Amino acid sequence: MSTRFAVAEPRPYDQPYRATRPAFTWLLEREVVRFLKIWQFTVAGPILSELLFVLVFGFALSGHISGVEGVPYDQFILPGLAAQAVVTVGYINGTTSLFDARRDRYIHDVLASPVRWWELNLALVAGGAIRGLLVGSGILLIAMPATHLQVHQPLVLAVAALAILLAAGQLGVLAGSYARTLDHVYSIETLVVLPLGFLGGIFYSVGELPEPWRAISHLNPVFYVVQALRIGLLGRGDISTTAALVAVGGLAAVLTLWSALVFRSGRLLKP
Amino acid sequence: MGSHAIPPALSIRGLTKTYRGGFTAVADLDLEIPDGAFFGLLGPNGAGKTTLIGAACNLLRPTAGQIRIFGHDHDSRQARQLVGLAEQDINLDRFLNIDQILVYHAGYHGIGRREAWRRARELMDLFQLSAKAKSPAGALSGGMQRRLLLARALMHRPRLLILDEPTAGVDVELRQELWDYTRRLHEVGTTILLTTHYLEEAEALCDEIALLRGGRIVARDTAAGLRRDYGARDIAEVYKRAMSEP
Repeated sequence: MSTRFAVAEPRPYDQPYRATRPAFTWLLEREVVRFLKIWQFTVAGPILSELLFVLVFGFALSGHISGVEGVPYDQFILPGLAAQAVVTVGYINGTTSLFDARRDRYIHDVLASPVRWWELNLALVAGGAIRGLLVGSGILLIAMPATHLQVHQPLVLAVAALAILLAAGQLGVLAGSYARTLDHVYSIETLVVLPLGFLGGIFYSVGELPEPWRAISHLNPVFYVVQALRIGLLGRGDISTTAALVAVGGLAAVLTLWSALVFRSGRLLKP
Repeated sequence: MGSHAIPPALSIRGLTKTYRGGFTAVADLDLEIPDGAFFGLLGPNGAGKTTLIGAACNLLRPTAGQIRIFGHDHDSRQARQLVGLAEQDINLDRFLNIDQILVYHAGYHGIGRREAWRRARELMDLFQLSAKAKSPAGALSGGMQRRLLLARALMHRPRLLILDEPTAGVDVELRQELWDYTRRLHEVGTTILLTTHYLEEAEALCDEIALLRGGRIVARDTAAGLRRDYGARDIAEVYKRAMSEP
């Protein structure tokens, strides 16, 4: 170890805390740097995965599947596929980021610092939202020209996207807080997130289901996520625009409140 | 040594921590470490050292008690900016390079980008980590990871530096270098709380030593005072007698 340099004196004990740059921005930057370092797996992979569905169901099988309510099938499934990708990516980002930090204990570096609980919460969620936005945008930017889909209700799409990104990010952060093992993380994705996605009306119109399956589908939160994006992109869905936006907005609000309570109490981050 | 006008670096009153499952690691613990001290905390595994440190550093939620850092509530931002912690476990962010680990740590303390990079370069130079600046933490040897932990703890110029077994698993040379460096930090006014299983380390470095057993402080004095009180040749003997007392 070099002894060439003078040791810096410690800061005064009565110096008020003043951030030259808000700690939240550093935390958010770290979250983005983390997933961009392995972008092939975190961004490109999910985009490719969903585009394969478009390729297979939308193009390869298009001759065998007629449209839904007059909408070509490749266009019909695209909003749901984008929704599924955003929800999955938001969930995985939050869980892996927070779970990793807890398991390897480098979250201690943050907990011991002046970072406030809501800054940590917000940075984790925003990181997931940014990743979700990149993935969702990537899917739509590639698939929309290929399927000749145009945005019918841009304002609805924007509001829906915001609420969905927030909800997905908070879901991931909550799962990352509660998970005790990596198996928990992946089993929730496999047993909960994925099935809810597939049963949320991505590939079919829920309105065409017989009862009681139609009613049961209305209990699935992913159903409203799919509907909100479908209405924004196609201009129509199985429920009204108001119902879709209220549902996804409410979902985002509930998850945000739950997450805030968890982080504020610190009981899942600190023993 | 610290002036009497400066509040204690660490003031703990009635600290109790009972974990889920019912295990009580510390019970009604009082401890005060004055500003400018080089304080050693010795005790066997399970004595409560890590719990005490965790409570002071906002890593766990005390069941009861009050903790103040230089007069500030321990979970206030003002207190948090005054404490630096190098933990026993190697808890480095495996997604970041060495230089990023240091810079982001500075960022968590609200330091601006330019100053963070300047300080990171300074500490990487000092701890001979510059050649590995763009490497992930996992690529470092154990000794280099220990140096990085210490460098990280020092990025924001803490006034109270807590070192939890800083020389565990390092070679004799590096241990001596770390001793020299912590002595220099102490000379310029940093209060140091050191936990260690190397009793000679505590005896060589610390102004005062406390012995912790079963979540309670069973003895506290200078090394010479402890030897005298226990009629012992060295701290190792003091430790042995203190830990075997009923």
